[in-house]
Amino acid sequence: MVMQQSTSSRPARMALRRDKGRLMQEAAMLAPAVILLTVFLIVPFLLSFWTAMTNQPLVPRPTPVRFIWFNNFIRIFKDDLFWTALWNVSRFTFWIIPAQCGLAFATALLLHQNLPFRNLLRGMFFLPAITSMVVVCVIWGTLFQYPTGPFNQILGFLSGGAIQPIDWLGDPEWAMFSLVLLSAWQAYGFQMIVYLAGLQGIPDELYDAAKIDGANALRRFWHVTMPGLRPTHVFVLVITTIQAFKLYTQVAILTQGGPKSSTETVVHYMVRAGFEEQKMGYASAVSVILFVIVLIIALIQRQLLRRFDV
Amino acid sequence: MSDIALSIPQARAARPRSAARVLRTVQTVSIFIIALVIVSPLLLLVVASLKDDRFQILADMGSFRAFWVSNPTLSNYAEVGHLSGELAFGRYLINSLIILATTVCSGLIVNSMAGFVLAWGSLRGRGVILSVVIALYVIPQESIIMPLVIMVSRAGISDTFAVQIVPWIASPLYIFLFYQFFTQLPKELLEAAEMDGASFFRAYRSIFLPLSLPALATVSILMGIETWNQYLWPILVTQTDYARPIAVAIATFFGQDSIYWDRAMAASVLMMIPILGLYLAFQRWFVSSFIGSAVKG
Repeated sequence: MVMQQSTSSRPARMALRRDKGRLMQEAAMLAPAVILLTVFLIVPFLLSFWTAMTNQPLVPRPTPVRFIWFNNFIRIFKDDLFWTALWNVSRFTFWIIPAQCGLAFATALLLHQNLPFRNLLRGMFFLPAITSMVVVCVIWGTLFQYPTGPFNQILGFLSGGAIQPIDWLGDPEWAMFSLVLLSAWQAYGFQMIVYLAGLQGIPDELYDAAKIDGANALRRFWHVTMPGLRPTHVFVLVITTIQAFKLYTQVAILTQGGPKSSTETVVHYMVRAGFEEQKMGYASAVSVILFVIVLIIALIQRQLLRRFDV
Repeated sequence: MSDIALSIPQARAARPRSAARVLRTVQTVSIFIIALVIVSPLLLLVVASLKDDRFQILADMGSFRAFWVSNPTLSNYAEVGHLSGELAFGRYLINSLIILATTVCSGLIVNSMAGFVLAWGSLRGRGVILSVVIALYVIPQESIIMPLVIMVSRAGISDTFAVQIVPWIASPLYIFLFYQFFTQLPKELLEAAEMDGASFFRAYRSIFLPLSLPALATVSILMGIETWNQYLWPILVTQTDYARPIAVAIATFFGQDSIYWDRAMAASVLMMIPILGLYLAFQRWFVSSFIGSAVKG
């Protein structure tokens, strides 16, 4: 654009100067974001690949850092605890998807109707989502108390004493399931908002047309609502899966990976390697593996969305 | 109370299609009951924080007394609200507020400026930067945290406020959200502004930014929740009380052998209040369709 106007006439020169000024402004407005992203995202990301192939410790040692190629990765794959951690987050994902997305979808369907106090209800349902995971752990830590906590009391009351108290966080059979309950409750609010947005995106005309064709509520749900929500379902499933693979805070506060490694997760394993065992190189290798997992999930999402043509 | 209860069915009966209205009332009431069940753990938290006896809190947990406090007291709040002392959370709360305000304010400026240039700028390489920003979205925070810890400790800036703020100001997600929002506004606005002699920056600041209130509100809420609830990063980079946020303080406190449940509950309630305020302040503009547009990205 600038080149075409490069005659020596006065207005053109002014335009040129203005364009230059404008480009300077644009560069100055873009610069903070570009610099921050480069220093705090791109550089550490690239560094993580390099660190993953060294024996970098947490605190500098007199001996120089050695480049050890893929030894960290080999060691990780040989460690049973890593595979336990990966298996545990997979189990967690398997349970949390129906729990969290189901709850989110159900509440979104309820709230999508034209109800009185809609904003109040929406706020109530969204409340857990703005509650810090640390606070959630304080509350649910008391709910899970063994043997006389509220959950055990309710179960005992409902079953007339037939169900024995469950050691929610202390029993290897139950600990991960307990974390699923707590996590689903804490995080479903965001998925609910996404579902509400998806429901709003379905044109009313489709419902009207279906009504004229004589479709009842159930049929309208199956043939209008569900197809209209396809991209939303994909999005919700993918973010839930990615979040599940990053499971950390609940584990660190409530179970520390126990009992008997039943709640060990990939991120908890990484943080322990880096800070308790002080092996930064090893921990970085775990973080690279985590990135690859997340990337694969994101690529699957892209493929699915493309198939649905959105 | 009973007067009101009696008068409602009569009023309903007088109108046509009362069956539909009754159904609707039943529906509304059941949704409220479900909502109450969902928020009950939080009600329990507030009630427990008003009890002064930490042993009583656990004893009450097994019955409906968990939702009832006979002689409420604010002594737990007084205890944890101090600015110094063993169980003082006031200090950490202020730390967190400083971190929250600074991160969100600078985040709004930096990300909206970048989004605006990417949307309406004429800088060469704009498209490439946009694709890079979108691609960067895939990198999880957990994947860069190890090298980042080494970087900040080498730079000698760990255990400061800056280390908890600066790395999280720029974010691919929020740049993209602003970019999308700005592209939905008509480009004629920019052309008209420049015709009137306004500079590019001026057009952004005086015309586009005021119009982007929904985007600013949404990013404030999302960024606020994210910053306020950070846990992994602050435990890795804070070693002393100097800049430690309240989430880390509560977690440390919670991990002790003899848990002061009464104080833990009060500190937790205190931790909820500011972020609830932020949500309530911006909820009106927290337009769901706006997040919906991120679905396709």
